[in-house]
Amino acid sequence: MESLSAYFDKTVLAWLVAVPFLAAFAVLFTPRQSVKFLRNFSVGAMLVEFVISWHLLARGDYTTAAYQFSASYPLIESWGISFNVGVDGISLWLVMLTTFVTPIALYASWTSVETKVKEFALCFLFLECAMIGAFVSLDLFVFYVFWELMLVPMYLIIGIWGGADRVYASIKFFLYTMVGSLLMFVAILYVVNAYHGVTGTYTFDVTQLSQLVLERQAQLFLFGAFALAFAIKVPMFPFHTWLPDAHVQAPTGGSVILAAVLLKMGTYGFVRFAMPLFPLASHAFAPTLALLAVVGIIYGAYCAWVQKDVKKLVAYSSVSHLGFVMLGIFSVTQQGISGAVLQMVNHGISTGALFLLVGVIYERRHTRLLSAFGGLAKGMPLYTLLFVIVSMSSVGLPGTNGFIGEFMILNGTFLSERLPTAFVFALFASTGVILAAIYMLHAVLKMFWGPLDNPENEGLSDVSGRELTALAPLLALVFVLGFFPGVFLEKMNPAVDGFLRAYNAKLIESSENDEARVLKADALNGATRGDVKLALGQAEGDK
Amino acid sequence: MESFYETALGLIVLIPMLGALLNGIGGCFFKADKAIVKAVAIGAVASAFVLACIAFAGVVQGHGDDPSFALTQHLYEWFSVQVDGRTVPVNVRFTMDALSGFMTVMITGIGLLIHIYAASYMSEEPSFARFFAYLNLFMASMLILVLGSNLPLMFVGWEGVGVCSYLLIGFWFENPAYAAAGKKAFITNRVGDFGVLIGMFILLSATGSFEFGEINRHASSLTMPFQLGSISLEASIATMAVLFLFLGCTGKSAQLPLYVWLPDAMAGPTPVSALIHAATMVTSGVYLACRLSPVFVQSPTAMAVIAVVGTLTALIAASIALVQNQLKKVLAYSTVSQLGFMFAAVGVGAFSAGIFHVLTHAFFKACLFLGAGSVMHAVHAHGDADFRDIGGMKKWMPYTNITFFISCLAIAGIPGTSGFFSKDMILHGALNAGEFFEFAPWLGQAVFGALALGAACTAFYMFRLYYLAFTGEFRGGHGHGHDDHGHDDHGHGHHGDPHESEFGITVPLMVLALGAALVGFLGMPSWAHLPDFWNEWLDGVVAGLPNAHEGHHDSSTGSIAAIVGTIAGVGGWLVARGMFKDKPWHAAEHLSPLHQFLMDKWRVDEFYEAVLIRPMTALAKVSAGIDRVAVDGLTKLAAGAARGFGWLMTRAQTGEMHAYSASMAFGIIGLTWWVAYPHAHIDAAEKGDAVHFVAGSGLGYEYRWDFDSDGEFDTEWGADKRDVSHAYDADSAVAAELVLVEAAGRFSGKYKVRIDEVSGAVDLSTRHLGDGWRTQPHGHTPPSVRYEEGKVFVRPGASSVKVNGTSAEGSEIPVLPGSTVQFGDFAKVRVDAVVRSTLAVRNAFGNLDKTRVDVVVQPKAPAHAARKADKNSSVMALRSEAQ
Repeated sequence: MESLSAYFDKTVLAWLVAVPFLAAFAVLFTPRQSVKFLRNFSVGAMLVEFVISWHLLARGDYTTAAYQFSASYPLIESWGISFNVGVDGISLWLVMLTTFVTPIALYASWTSVETKVKEFALCFLFLECAMIGAFVSLDLFVFYVFWELMLVPMYLIIGIWGGADRVYASIKFFLYTMVGSLLMFVAILYVVNAYHGVTGTYTFDVTQLSQLVLERQAQLFLFGAFALAFAIKVPMFPFHTWLPDAHVQAPTGGSVILAAVLLKMGTYGFVRFAMPLFPLASHAFAPTLALLAVVGIIYGAYCAWVQKDVKKLVAYSSVSHLGFVMLGIFSVTQQGISGAVLQMVNHGISTGALFLLVGVIYERRHTRLLSAFGGLAKGMPLYTLLFVIVSMSSVGLPGTNGFIGEFMILNGTFLSERLPTAFVFALFASTGVILAAIYMLHAVLKMFWGPLDNPENEGLSDVSGRELTALAPLLALVFVLGFFPGVFLEKMNPAVDGFLRAYNAKLIESSENDEARVLKADALNGATRGDVKLALGQAEGDK
Repeated sequence: MESFYETALGLIVLIPMLGALLNGIGGCFFKADKAIVKAVAIGAVASAFVLACIAFAGVVQGHGDDPSFALTQHLYEWFSVQVDGRTVPVNVRFTMDALSGFMTVMITGIGLLIHIYAASYMSEEPSFARFFAYLNLFMASMLILVLGSNLPLMFVGWEGVGVCSYLLIGFWFENPAYAAAGKKAFITNRVGDFGVLIGMFILLSATGSFEFGEINRHASSLTMPFQLGSISLEASIATMAVLFLFLGCTGKSAQLPLYVWLPDAMAGPTPVSALIHAATMVTSGVYLACRLSPVFVQSPTAMAVIAVVGTLTALIAASIALVQNQLKKVLAYSTVSQLGFMFAAVGVGAFSAGIFHVLTHAFFKACLFLGAGSVMHAVHAHGDADFRDIGGMKKWMPYTNITFFISCLAIAGIPGTSGFFSKDMILHGALNAGEFFEFAPWLGQAVFGALALGAACTAFYMFRLYYLAFTGEFRGGHGHGHDDHGHDDHGHGHHGDPHESEFGITVPLMVLALGAALVGFLGMPSWAHLPDFWNEWLDGVVAGLPNAHEGHHDSSTGSIAAIVGTIAGVGGWLVARGMFKDKPWHAAEHLSPLHQFLMDKWRVDEFYEAVLIRPMTALAKVSAGIDRVAVDGLTKLAAGAARGFGWLMTRAQTGEMHAYSASMAFGIIGLTWWVAYPHAHIDAAEKGDAVHFVAGSGLGYEYRWDFDSDGEFDTEWGADKRDVSHAYDADSAVAAELVLVEAAGRFSGKYKVRIDEVSGAVDLSTRHLGDGWRTQPHGHTPPSVRYEEGKVFVRPGASSVKVNGTSAEGSEIPVLPGSTVQFGDFAKVRVDAVVRSTLAVRNAFGNLDKTRVDVVVQPKAPAHAARKADKNSSVMALRSEAQ
């Protein structure tokens, strides 16, 4: 037993990536007629994956900012590419969220996905492999590969099992996110090349690359390229328009994964890659991004309010909620970032549950138009209860998970020294709290209250045991996170502290560089030289 | 170690929560028997009440020695935040002191009575279990609100009661108007909650704590101006914090401008109106103000705002209540008005008077609501009872009648009743507030006058209500289910004459009426040498104005307040008695404009609809439209552009043979040129004094180098000369580059200037060298460096100069590239050489191409001095300049 643990300590992350992949491989060689086996096997494999991921929780030491379970398997040595993995208190929770939500989404899908079951299972398993891979990669090349790999199964999930307009939505989703990412790849190559110019070695290892202090101008462009890719994925206003289309057309399971995990890639990317690599540019862009985040919070909420389709309403609410996450990150305060990471998890749980719930009513009524509902509370009390609880969590009611995240983000924004007039940012962002109540309660009112005057809504069956099984873990987490966020925060905080320390140290150093650059500029008349300088001894300076 | 009393605190909250959970799951989904539901719900609140009394006994015990004594139970750390690098824990911690103690007992006590009442009142309700689950959940939230020891925990209760209120107002959700009223209540409250959040953040950043105790201890530091970025506002931190918190209070406690939800909230079942929308939840704003009273008193500006808002609310709501024709509607506006009284008290600094009115109001208003419910129960009116349908209830309902009458006396402030004492304390407080508002010393008197008028109105509308409902002839028996009676879910077993309600209803009424009559004696005026337990009790926890103590004993203002209060109450009563006692009810056909205006509630709802809700809805629609057309339009435009470009490319596919052959011909010509002519390109890497050159390769290329660009090639033609190295000496420079090696250790290796014939001399100044270059204290002339025909000259200016460690004198010192020049004590500049290398390339066709590249090198220093600082700048990325 002990030796098994020790073995897993070294290889658990590789296994987490490999298990869904191997399962997908097995599915590939299963006859498509054995539908029942395929369904059970794929969910079973994901549950095994979930169990394995508990090893991260149980055996990792998250009192430090250091990466846990790190391992490196060389892939292309001459280019310095290796399968270099590790988790810290930030990625831990996103990995856990992924392994937790994916089986639920797949399990819930098995009531509605009747055709091409084998392919659906295959897509989901590949998707999980890619998502986990992206969260644990510390190698930019491998990260990029997983990042793009995620698109393929999701593209297929929307395009094959989606709604009436699925082809348009899936192509839009694919192209929009893909185009944004291409520039990021160019930027990655530039950074690697610059690092090579300084040290003479090629590496894609982000921990090493972030030792590099690039020139301000270069940082601005490179950060821009990264930020575009991530902002589209988040999605940040004004790059969000693929989201409502994708969500509305995606099958329930796809929507759940899209909202719960895929969107987090963007915000995670900012924290893990864009900010540590380009602190000077992050610093310069922070007020702009925070402003866009606040606009997104308010704008997303307003758009959500008047949607006729409840799934679209939830999709726009994601724009608003992710605005909070972005604001927290770019407040560059400890609680802002901790709150943002927590809010990523919260949003995964609440919005995942909301999409599941929307799927429940869609399966019964084959419509999602708010105007088609009304008075559902009469016939579906349990469904109503669940929906109201999740709505309240989405609104950020204290005692539910949503509150802690929003509270910490708003508080972090309020106390931020990086945002000019942080008070005003916090003030406007806080109005999102009011708007969230408006659009969510609007939906609840239209769906559940009032007389049951549409005969088609009569005699609908309440939430089934199967549906409840899928929802119950999410519901439980709503309250666990609401009442005991400390469990999550205590593992997260050291990583966030470490991130901030390194970020600030590097920012100060680059600023000095920057000052010198300004001096140089007026003397040199533009002839640039010494593009890069290795931040020697920075790591020592931190200790 | 927690004491026995302290352990009770968590249980007080936990038990009702458990009750809610049991009834919610067992009652709603497993269809538990009503008797069990009833037992669980009432049992939970009763246990909470008993525990509250026990804990309160503990507070009373401790209070003797220390007026600010508090019991505290720390459960766990909820989460933590960081302020100025310090970790501030947010704890789940309950405390009970004099203030929260009496609130807890009051809430659980009145809650218990109302639970008992509701068990009878709601007995025919099919969703009985759901009702009690909500009600217990409300109790738990309310208790968290008052027992929470810090702002975020209080906020849990604060929003929790909001949700319960939402659910209970819309309890009969099938009626769309009720459901909409619930939504309205929640959203209006959310506007207030936004204020509480911001207020909380302001207090946290100023005091570094969320704990009420800590914040209050640091209250005096809050008078500093509020910083908005780098701007200092006129307003102090306290003013901003209090105003934002007060916004929250206007939401929860139904003050201007956010009171509009409360009258609509009467859509909920009557026990809910009594418990939540009269006795407990709506007073939480007053509680918060008292809890943070040391902060509130720091800002006379904010207090003045509160006083004015409270007074206006009291008057406006009272004026609306004068003309309303439905029982609960009158009571609702009366509640808004009474809450206005409480906030007026808070505003003039009479916190203890405000919270005293919370207590007395809880008794008489709960009794009034429950009495109204009893009447409605008797005549089977649901939702609300119109004066058209009732009248003369005295005859059938003796208990309801007498309790209702006592409560009317109390709310009217007839001497001897509880309302008299609390209202008197408020009026007295207003009269004593004069000096506090330096900018408006008349404010206290103005508030006093307005409140006295409000008190007269109160007495009038309450007795109008009483006489219309309880005296005269019964007018009912004809109409059930007309428009105002939306809900018809109750079983209508029997019609006919009204009847007295069962004991489950009348007993709570009697207890409440007893309280309404008697609790006032807790706070008798001390100026009249009567015992004032109230102010003594709260002295340690609730702040007051600086002159509070003298004020309490000021018999001149005290007697004025008492006399005016009595005249207002008795006067209002007598007028109403004359107008309505035993009179038949007839609704006026034509109302005067003023009457109509009051009837329409000042048209505030319509105003909000026009200036807030419609513009916001419009904005939402516009946003969604913009999103579809403009934001997504841009995306589509980009996609369209790509598609358009693709289309354009297809246009080249004409199928015309001659067009294809023409483009082929051009292509071949281009390729031929590219092959026939060589392309020179140099990559250079510098290493100390040597440079490693690599030329671009091509088909059949031969290379020839002129390393110093003097026009004479240094090598022969050769295909193997692609990759060459050359070491430079100090003489081959075409320009020099000055590299600042060290200046106060700061800019090492980062500052570089190139000098050549064109740029001539460069002045080095403080900005570059720091201060250390000056050898004479007042020397101003900075050193400068000049380049001329391959040679570098240093003019020392006011500095001393050392070249390669040897002192040098003279007005212009020649320096060789590769040397290090030291100015003053420690600023060092290295002189590097810029060398220019030329490459010629020819290919098999004999065509030639040339290019040049400039490289910075560090030629071997001619003298003995080694370049110490080299390690700093060994790394440089280079750029070739192809020409």
